[in-house]
Amino acid sequence: MTDAVDNEENERDLSAEVERRRRIIAGELKERTLWFVMLRWWVPPSILAGVAVAWFIGVKFAVIPLIASAGFILAYNIVFFLLSRRLRKEPSQEPEYIEQFTYWQVALDYGAMFLLIHYTGGAASPFIFFFIFHIIFASILLPSRSAYAFSAFVVVGAGIIAAAEYMQWIPHHALYFQNKAIDLAEKPFHMMAEMAFFAASVFITTFCTTAIMNMLRRRIVKLADLSEAVTLLNNKLQALYVMIQAIGSAQHLDQVLKVVTSELSRLPDIKAISVKLLSDDHKYLYYAAGHGLPEEFYKNKVIEVEKSALHRDIIEGKLYVTGRITQREMAQFGEDLAQEGLQSVLFAPLIVENRITGILGAYCDRPDRFDQDDVDFFRLAAGLVAIALENARAYESIENLIVERSKFMMRMAHNMRAPLAAMVTVIEVLRDGYRGDLTDEQRKYIRRVEMRARSMISLINELMIISRNRSEAREQVKKPVDLNSISGRIQQTFREEAAEKQVAFQVTAPPGLPKITGDPDMIEQMLENIVSNAIKYTRPGGRVGATFSAGTNGHVRIEVSDDGIGIPRADKPKLFSEFFRAQNARAVQEFGTGLGLAIVKDIVDKHGGRIFVESEEGLGTIFVVHLPIAGEENIK
Amino acid sequence: MTTKGEILLVDDDPDIRDSIKIILESKGFTVRTAANGRQALTSLDQKIPDLMILDIMMSTDTEGFDLAYELKSKPKFENLPIIILTSFLEKVRDEGPDKFQHIMGEEWPAKWLFEKPVDSNKLVAKIEGILAGK
Repeated sequence: MTDAVDNEENERDLSAEVERRRRIIAGELKERTLWFVMLRWWVPPSILAGVAVAWFIGVKFAVIPLIASAGFILAYNIVFFLLSRRLRKEPSQEPEYIEQFTYWQVALDYGAMFLLIHYTGGAASPFIFFFIFHIIFASILLPSRSAYAFSAFVVVGAGIIAAAEYMQWIPHHALYFQNKAIDLAEKPFHMMAEMAFFAASVFITTFCTTAIMNMLRRRIVKLADLSEAVTLLNNKLQALYVMIQAIGSAQHLDQVLKVVTSELSRLPDIKAISVKLLSDDHKYLYYAAGHGLPEEFYKNKVIEVEKSALHRDIIEGKLYVTGRITQREMAQFGEDLAQEGLQSVLFAPLIVENRITGILGAYCDRPDRFDQDDVDFFRLAAGLVAIALENARAYESIENLIVERSKFMMRMAHNMRAPLAAMVTVIEVLRDGYRGDLTDEQRKYIRRVEMRARSMISLINELMIISRNRSEAREQVKKPVDLNSISGRIQQTFREEAAEKQVAFQVTAPPGLPKITGDPDMIEQMLENIVSNAIKYTRPGGRVGATFSAGTNGHVRIEVSDDGIGIPRADKPKLFSEFFRAQNARAVQEFGTGLGLAIVKDIVDKHGGRIFVESEEGLGTIFVVHLPIAGEENIK
Repeated sequence: MTTKGEILLVDDDPDIRDSIKIILESKGFTVRTAANGRQALTSLDQKIPDLMILDIMMSTDTEGFDLAYELKSKPKFENLPIIILTSFLEKVRDEGPDKFQHIMGEEWPAKWLFEKPVDSNKLVAKIEGILAGK
């Protein structure tokens, strides 16, 4: 039964190939046949001119029928011209239609030739040799067999006319020159000789022309094949290029799988592409993607490598290709291929650094789709897919690592902060005398313990902030930030502290500041850090100011100035690095985390802003922050 | 015996429990304590206090949340004010704000949330404010 199916398919294949070639040749034929319609316009005027010249030099003949013949040619060419306009408009006409169009032209031209010959002396007509170029045209336009048939038609037709006129079945229109008939009908031997030579000329011409044309047609088909091959190659290169791109851009596994499978399925005749990945223990293959395959076909499907000899072979590095899937193979693949009408299958191992990571599958509903070129191509493609997948996996594991690290940091911070918080609370009970009065000296020492415990808590808090800000896994908040309300809160937060320290503190913000886009909590945190530093390092009696303004070129400008201790010139370059504290700052305040300004820099960078610092030791410091104003689309 | 109000303090950390109890009692409040959600429920069933101070992370990361949720679903606890104490503000900010909003109402988190170590003066002022407004 399978043999019968195979034969049928072979025939179907062959007829498809014939059909393809026919279309290519029909395209060529169409162009030429249209050219002949244009060429034919010259025929009727030429006949009229010939009639006039013959008349002028004194040849006598049947003038009216000749002019009528010219009219007949003109009439059918007009019809052809109108039809040819329709043919031009629809570029992909059926080959049958173009062939018929050509046959009708040749047939009518031959008919017209017979009329001309009949009216200009029959077998003796000088026009009889004009058939030669008609034969050439027919041989150019039509397949060899038809060209020979038309040639035979010419010879037989001319013979019949000659015989019929000789036997006087039809009237004989002889040519007369100087009152003498130019007539072969009176000399049968001459007439037969001429007919024989004429027939020979006709067939030799047919032979030569069709031979040349057959050669040309083969070239045309070859050229078309070549152009098809170039297009295919171009598609393949494009697919490889997209895969290389996928390797370059570190995407997630899902994205890479989607890109490579959809790109490979765009190749001609490829119905589906699948990617199976090998489990770490090399025991199972599971489907990671199946572009073009129905979901139930591959979703959650797992193949046990031990149980599938074919898969085992592929995993050992062999490429597998088949043009016709048998029942046995289907059972091996565990895929319901027949139901999808898939015939050709190609499986290439995904190899990266000599390790097999999975299998790339290509499916086609045509039998015998994959040739050596495809095998080479898919081997190359599989190599690239393997690298892209490996890249994506590495990227994902780094991402997971970052998330894990971030979770670990949070947990650690909590576990470190909880006992410190309890400690500070217990100290408070002692310090404030809830459990009996303390001497001033005792209270002083309790305070020292409390200070250290609290600075430990701030250190943990600030480390957490830095770690959270720098964690790529954490999505950045993008909200409109209202700087007017933030400026109000800054004033509120530091009013007491500044007053306690006898530092004049002033926040200046004009109403209606433009909004910026970002995380309001972060922006507030950043300003708190700068202002808190300014107050901390300004002596009693000094002043600290924070001024907000809508700067030029699309930025908001925030300036925090103090007349405090300033920053030594040598320390300025390291100002924003973690754990750095300026020498004179240590003198003012013994404990500090050295993280405050690192956090400030992180936040400004995250919001696409810039920070500048101007300072003179002993005179004061000015921090200037520029933050980009939100675009229209970001303001809700 | 006059009391400014009865407070249930729920925290798994004995040091925090004892210290805050001492501080609040010396300010004139009556303080009951519970070390976990289950104990808190038992205590609440006996008598509903005027206010509850609740830690979030106890034996599980969300034990305090779960308790607050359970209470808010029961009409008899509808008017029980809750103050949250936490030493894990980042987690609350990252994962919980919407959840908190639901439990605590519109004022969340500005007035009802304290980060450990808590400033006892602020805590007392808050409690007095809430109880006065009740």
